[in-house]
Amino acid sequence: MSALPLTSAAATASALPRPAERPSRRLEVVAAPKPRRRPRLLYGIVAVTGALTIGAAQMGLSILTTQGSYEVSQLTREQRDLTYQKQILIDDVAGLNSPQFLAANASALGMVIAESPNYLRLSDGVVLGTGEAAPGASTIDALGRPSVPNALIADAPLVTAPTATIEGVPVVAEPPAADAATPGAGTDTPTPPPVTDGLPVPRTH
Amino acid sequence: MTTRASRSPRRRTVAALAVVLAVLCGFIIRLVDIQVVNAEGHIADSQELAFGAKTDLYGTRGEIVDADGEALATSILMYDGKLDPAHVGPIEREVDGVEVEVPWDQVAAEMGAITGQTADEIMQIVDDALAADAGSRFAYLKRGLTTEQYRALADLRAPFLTFDMHPQRTYPDGAVAGNVVGFVGSDGQPLAGIEQIENTCLASANGQVTYMRGADGVVIPGTEVETPAVDGGTLQLTIDRDLQWYLQQLIAEEVQNKRANSGAILVVEVATGKIRAAAEYPTVDPNNVEASAEADRGSRLFLASYEPGSTLKAITAASVIDAGVATPDTTVTAGDYETFPNGARVGDFESHPVLNYTLTGALIDSSNVALSKFGEMLSADMRHDYLERFGVGQGTAIGWPSEPQGVLYPASEWDNQTFYATTFGQGYTMTSPQVASAYQALANDGLKMPLSLVESCTLADGTVVEPDLPEPEQVVSKEAADAVTLMLENVAVQAQMAEYIAVDGYRIAAKTGTAQVAGNGGYKAGVYFTSLIGILPADDPQYIVLTTLDEPTTIKSSAANRQAFQKAMTQVLKNYRVLPSDSQTPLLPKTL
Repeated sequence: MSALPLTSAAATASALPRPAERPSRRLEVVAAPKPRRRPRLLYGIVAVTGALTIGAAQMGLSILTTQGSYEVSQLTREQRDLTYQKQILIDDVAGLNSPQFLAANASALGMVIAESPNYLRLSDGVVLGTGEAAPGASTIDALGRPSVPNALIADAPLVTAPTATIEGVPVVAEPPAADAATPGAGTDTPTPPPVTDGLPVPRTH
Repeated sequence: MTTRASRSPRRRTVAALAVVLAVLCGFIIRLVDIQVVNAEGHIADSQELAFGAKTDLYGTRGEIVDADGEALATSILMYDGKLDPAHVGPIEREVDGVEVEVPWDQVAAEMGAITGQTADEIMQIVDDALAADAGSRFAYLKRGLTTEQYRALADLRAPFLTFDMHPQRTYPDGAVAGNVVGFVGSDGQPLAGIEQIENTCLASANGQVTYMRGADGVVIPGTEVETPAVDGGTLQLTIDRDLQWYLQQLIAEEVQNKRANSGAILVVEVATGKIRAAAEYPTVDPNNVEASAEADRGSRLFLASYEPGSTLKAITAASVIDAGVATPDTTVTAGDYETFPNGARVGDFESHPVLNYTLTGALIDSSNVALSKFGEMLSADMRHDYLERFGVGQGTAIGWPSEPQGVLYPASEWDNQTFYATTFGQGYTMTSPQVASAYQALANDGLKMPLSLVESCTLADGTVVEPDLPEPEQVVSKEAADAVTLMLENVAVQAQMAEYIAVDGYRIAAKTGTAQVAGNGGYKAGVYFTSLIGILPADDPQYIVLTTLDEPTTIKSSAANRQAFQKAMTQVLKNYRVLPSDSQTPLLPKTL
């Protein structure tokens, strides 16, 4: 560029407007950078509030969980007490549904285990079997000779005969105060409930 | 270049570096030691430090239930009360807002009122413990306290009284099926019966939960680490507890009435081979094992093997019919005592003239001589194979611990007497379940089902595991089995016992057995192991009932079983609502 020949100076003068046509070759002063803007306050506020909110939420949740754990602890205690009660009740009724106890109770009511069964066929009303009435005596003696021991009910008074146990031993009369502590013993009577709505009918298909 | 002056700082650098390296090495070694070599110990320490508190979680041993789901064995919690003798003394108690001191003897009296001990007994426990060791910190107040007693004692708030909780087994029905269910020891280890056999199903696994606790004792949330306890599975038996109870009561009365050593009644369902009742006397109440004699705590029913005697004549009959060498009407001529060509001598239980017995008649009169003559129609090998197929010497699928397999010698080892004795149930041994199993095959058109006591095991996660049983086996043809059932039905109506064992309205098949009892170097004289086995109802076989009495003395023959057998059959028919038969037994000729 610096080696342009002088002879072309006139040509250069005659073509004055040309430089405007070649802006790429012009040096330009770069505009001074704008003064730095002050950081916006808003972002800061948002960030700080966010941090505080997170902190507060964390604390709130923590309080709630702690509160919850106290409730859990309370409920666990209640559950434990109820479990104890359930265990006590299970202990109380243990063995009462055993076949020997039921049979002894039925026997005390005068029920017998009879001989051959009879059936009434519903479709045509025919009696199947011998059609004989049950004999007065039971085929086994569930009350007089209980031979299938059960330690759980050995001392339990019969429901249908509260003064006897399955062993036939008379129950020692308990003082009235103790009676209240053992509900069930002695409160049931062997008397059947009165019939109000006619004889009950078994439900059949 | 290396002058003395420049060398000195360099040395110092090297020395410093060496020291630094040495220290670093020390740290690295220690780090490896902590992080690698002793890592586990430190982790455990930290865990313990972090999760200081832990609670044991007890798994519950599974229930044993009967065929209808009624519990035969279940688990409850019991407590052991423990005293700290060194710290026993008066306790502070708040009464109406005032702190009062309750003296030790009054506390002891209050404890005694709950546990059923006297104050003196409790104070004696403490004194004894202190006498043995002045600084004693431990003595049992009482073991096996109920929950009610435990809560009442805990309410006394005595700081020197603590409790251990442990699961314990209880058996709601007592001795009902006690022989089958078995029992567990005080330490919870199964000792007998199903409790022992099926322990893998029933056993539970304990777990624990560890956690951090705040100063006030509340668990810090999120710190719990739980290893859950696994409950045992529920085991369902094939036993029907109501039937089992009736039969146990019945056999107990009969054993006492007939002054026998012991007795048993076994009920097997024909179609499935399931044991519906296995009653015996004497037996055990698993709630109170101590009350039974040592010998009565197991099960004689599953463990006693004997020479079955006449009940197995039905198998000889089935063999000759299945092999096609005889029919129910085939006859032999038999006296009441004969000597056979090979030198064997066979006699009948009752004397009779020489008769032209049909096979049916031989069974009706239970003639050993006639059965010997029918038996010799088959080779020893063939009869041996038939006996084996009916289960003689093969054990059962029940898998009772030390259950005898039964003894059946190879036919080649049969001597001349055994060759004939095996036709009428002697010369080999069987258990009662095996005898019932052989009859099950006869009643089930010749298809022998494996015997079973266990219906299923339902694990804690709900998976149902059924026992792995062998395949059913066709042991004789349906025709042979049905012919024998009909002949046994004729035994029930034509034999002497007919009127005693009849069940009104039902057709039944039955056979007696009077087995000689091995004693000192031979058979015991005059006493027998007697049995009566039946198929009911005979026109549509559903149940096998077997009653046995060991050495009855008021009546010594199998007649001793009649009442037990008749009542047992009646109850089985009633229990399962079996409808009466609508036909009569077709009578077959006894002699021709």
